[in-house]
Amino acid sequence: MDEKREQPALTLQELRFAIHHAQILNGVTFDVSRGETVGVIGPNGSGKTTLFNCINGFYLPTAGKVLFQEREITRMPPFQRAELGLGRVFQNFGIFREMTVLENMVTALEGRQPLRTTFFPWAKQNRKNRERALELLGEVQLAEKAHLKAGSLSGGQMRLLEIMRTFAFGAELFLLDEPTAGVSPKMKEDVAELVRKLQNEKKTILIIEHDIRFIEKFCERIIVLDSGRVLLDDTPEKVKESPLLQEIYFGKRSPSSGLV
Amino acid sequence: MEYLIHLAILVGIYTILAQSLNLCFGLGGLFNLAHVASYAIGAYTTALLSTEFGLSLWYTFPASIVLGSILALPIAAISSKLTQDYFAIGTLAFSFVIVALLINWKSLTRGVLGIPGIPRPEILGVNFYENSNFLILTVLVATAAQLILALLFQSRFARGLKAQAEYEEAALSLARNTRRIRGISFFISAGYAGLAGSLFAYYINYIDPSSFSLTEMVFVLTIVVVGKPGSFWGVLGATFFLVLLPEPLRFLDISPSILGPMRQLLYAVILYGVVFFNRYKIFPLQRVI
Ligand SMILES: Nc1ncnc2c1ncn2[C@@H]1O[C@H](COP(=O)(O)OP(=O)(O)OP(=O)(O)O)[C@@H](O)[C@H]1O
Ligand SMILES: [Mg+2]
Repeated sequence: MDEKREQPALTLQELRFAIHHAQILNGVTFDVSRGETVGVIGPNGSGKTTLFNCINGFYLPTAGKVLFQEREITRMPPFQRAELGLGRVFQNFGIFREMTVLENMVTALEGRQPLRTTFFPWAKQNRKNRERALELLGEVQLAEKAHLKAGSLSGGQMRLLEIMRTFAFGAELFLLDEPTAGVSPKMKEDVAELVRKLQNEKKTILIIEHDIRFIEKFCERIIVLDSGRVLLDDTPEKVKESPLLQEIYFGKRSPSSGLV
Repeated sequence: MEYLIHLAILVGIYTILAQSLNLCFGLGGLFNLAHVASYAIGAYTTALLSTEFGLSLWYTFPASIVLGSILALPIAAISSKLTQDYFAIGTLAFSFVIVALLINWKSLTRGVLGIPGIPRPEILGVNFYENSNFLILTVLVATAAQLILALLFQSRFARGLKAQAEYEEAALSLARNTRRIRGISFFISAGYAGLAGSLFAYYINYIDPSSFSLTEMVFVLTIVVVGKPGSFWGVLGATFFLVLLPEPLRFLDISPSILGPMRQLLYAVILYGVVFFNRYKIFPLQRVI
């Protein structure tokens, strides 16, 4: 592997998180290199979303460190992390339903642009943003829907919009929380295609998913989380063969329940 | 004619008051029930500066805007601790504090007696003593105010405000400093209310705390709700509609003691109707992670 790829995009050190006396994360440690795509799986309630929230800064970890591109961001406010290039796609759909599809994109595009270039509605940059937004929407077949309320889209289209929006925003690290939940089987392929597009753009991707067959297609590595711990961190083949995976999903010694 | 001028002036003042509430409540989903408190501060600032110190409009307008917008500080403080319904209750309590101050700080405000004899302004040799002249002033100020707000409603700031209203975490992950956005919206909105208060004091010549009661707040809120929160043109239209609506009643042969309550009742029915028929639409569901 080349030099650049080996630089860590994200480093988690002994991350712990507790809420209402419940320990959700019990010391999570791993690295993600630049340009890498890593899958995160685990039973319901194993702390996957919580882990993302700690990385984004919506939750402050009770112990441990988060580093983004070798810079410590453990206590940084979420919007500043976003400015650095942290992107998030939410499990419960993060699009703004009351805005039009186009407005969603424009809001993302101007997120990291200097205020003075977009402040006045007649600023040249605003027209450029609308053009760029339409161009990107075209890539996911949403250009005709640009002026509809985003809330009127189908589940799959909402996912595509949200991922595209995060791309437009200019994120370097994508935290995708179950991007195929609520997506029709046919549109899952479109989501997969968009993720591949992000990979071609050398983006770093963390993707939570229940369907291991869906992510093994593009992940070199899969992390299995169970009760807030990293149980496995290996290639998809090794993870699938591991008896531990069977155990956490199908019982025997399982500390947390929930099926795939 | 005089009567039409009177109505036009009222409409002008209310467009400023309602559209600025529409900014933080309509776009931002911030249920600020202390909006009328800023209106009151603006009115009292103008009243005191012009009666006690004889200051001109060049001083009273900016002073009313600045002092009105200062209320944004406590409101922002409340919003950092309380959200949604709790925020509404917090700001309501705060506005009661302001009204209590107006009533009880007698050495400054003369309490319930109010401040009479507020002189109409005069600028560059032009006076606004006549209502027809005052209408021109109101139209100029209200139009400028609406133009600025119209631009603001299409701006990146408005998108940030809408974004945080719907899904705070999603707005944060698009690098929006949501706390600052809310703070700025309170400032702008309260400053506008202060300006509206200043015009109101000049126009009415006499102010007392009863003009800034909860009833007034509910009226402004009704305008925004009827106009559709977040819609610039809707709220502008609703201002005309609701300010003028009860006026035909005047020409019926009804005694004034019934007329007042009837107007209130009319507004109550309209507010109820609009809220009832749009009960899932007025407040978009706010989502959290
Ligand atoms: N804000 C919170 N308050 C209380 N409990 C919380 C909070 N956030 C997370 N939890 C708890 O933490 C545990 C892990 O939740 P999390 O959402 O991270 O799981 P998950 O792995 O994403 O599950 P799923 O696959 O269902 O999305 C759950 O038991 C949840 O109830
Ligand atoms: Mg989850």
